[in-house]
Amino acid sequence: MAGGIEAVFLSNREALLRFLRARGAGTDAEDLLQELWLKVSAAPARPVAEPLGYLYRMANNLMLDQRRSEGRRKLREFEWTARDTARPSGVPDITSAERVLAARQQVKAFEDALAGLGERTETIFRRYRLDGVPQGEIAREYSISVSAVEKHLQRAYRALVQLRGQLDAE
Amino acid sequence: MMVNEGEKVMTVAIGWVIRLRHADAREWEEFAAWLEADPRHLQAYEEVAAADEGLDALPPREVRAAEVAAEADVRAEPVPRRKVLGWAIAASVVGLAGYASLDTATDHYAVETIAGERRVVALADGSRIELNGDTKVALDRRTPRYARLERGEALFTVVHDASSPFRVEAGDADIEDLGTVFNVTRAGEVVGVEVAEGEVAVASGGQRAHLTPGMGVRAEGKRLTPSRRDPASVGDWKRGLLSYSSASYEQIAQDLFRNAGLGVQVDPELRERRFSGVIILGPDKSVLMARVAALLTVKARPAGEGWLLVPAEQ
Repeated sequence: MAGGIEAVFLSNREALLRFLRARGAGTDAEDLLQELWLKVSAAPARPVAEPLGYLYRMANNLMLDQRRSEGRRKLREFEWTARDTARPSGVPDITSAERVLAARQQVKAFEDALAGLGERTETIFRRYRLDGVPQGEIAREYSISVSAVEKHLQRAYRALVQLRGQLDAE
Repeated sequence: MMVNEGEKVMTVAIGWVIRLRHADAREWEEFAAWLEADPRHLQAYEEVAAADEGLDALPPREVRAAEVAAEADVRAEPVPRRKVLGWAIAASVVGLAGYASLDTATDHYAVETIAGERRVVALADGSRIELNGDTKVALDRRTPRYARLERGEALFTVVHDASSPFRVEAGDADIEDLGTVFNVTRAGEVVGVEVAEGEVAVASGGQRAHLTPGMGVRAEGKRLTPSRRDPASVGDWKRGLLSYSSASYEQIAQDLFRNAGLGVQVDPELRERRFSGVIILGPDKSVLMARVAALLTVKARPAGEGWLLVPAEQ
């Protein structure tokens, strides 16, 4: 009874598996594909304009989630070690209030980095990334070419990648 | 040469993060092939994707000032950033619950759909918001009778409460329900409101309009342009119908993207043309484009990832 998106999944199984491997899933690729299938078959039926593109996006999101939870695991391990060595047991090293503050500092660092790019690049980047306005539309708004919009976006992303590198190194 | 090579890979990786926001299957496959070509490609992509993810935590500009004020007292002492923890902390807090959990003074969250997707949000007071594709609505758990349409289209079915009117903000426009079902669209700074039931007050740039069923308004900063629509057809997109009365082709192109994920550009030659009638959205994108072209008496040419509408005689 596989209909719609499920049928698309089944006939593109190999391509999706290949995508997950290329995306760094390694030996987990089959498991992740299974997870994707469960999500697809559990989701309420609704029209999807481009089902295969949608499946690729879901697969990519699985990989992004995976990396995020790895980050969380590392954080837990770190806390664990810190607690065992330096703190009386049961007292966490980092309180949740501190976490919230640290996260806010990250947000602030991002905002400062964007502001440092100059008004035009910042505004164009925010229009694209936060307001979700397509590049073509931004190009019309500013009467510049799509490739000029792309240049602004490239500059902004470059600065953010660099910022993140710095924060990671600290 | 080596440095240049790394720079080039980074440029391409950034290009992918930008393109993949609206990619179709073919582009995802090209992306996979690029990843397979060199292990450094995945590494560069992961780096950009990680930086990109952090952006989800950024509040939109207009709420920033208020939140900075709310933050000021909590942030008396800077927290020392610790090695390893910095990004992991941000990622875990943000990753779990979005920006909502970062703020103790408010409880903001956002609901978002991709093009072609639909979602229904049930609010605590019994009101309902139905989101069309490519739409983002920002909400606040502490202020349940309020929503902000960041972009796209949503149909609001609001439980009326005279003592606490439901407010929708969209760009410069402020929409207040006086008991109601109404539809709101936002594309950049242009906001459209249409009323199916009840009564709605719209204020934008100092101008005000009172709308009853069948009435609509298009707000662009200070300019309010009245429009009309059969109340029974308000929010028709929910049923897979796009109904128009002398709509510009630009507007139809926007609706096709939002509802069906179909990227459509309109040749400037067609700027003056208007369409009245109903487009029935079907499951098949390629057929849909052909049908729309026939209805609008234009030719649809493949262009990039989408289509370009040109006059039929061209």
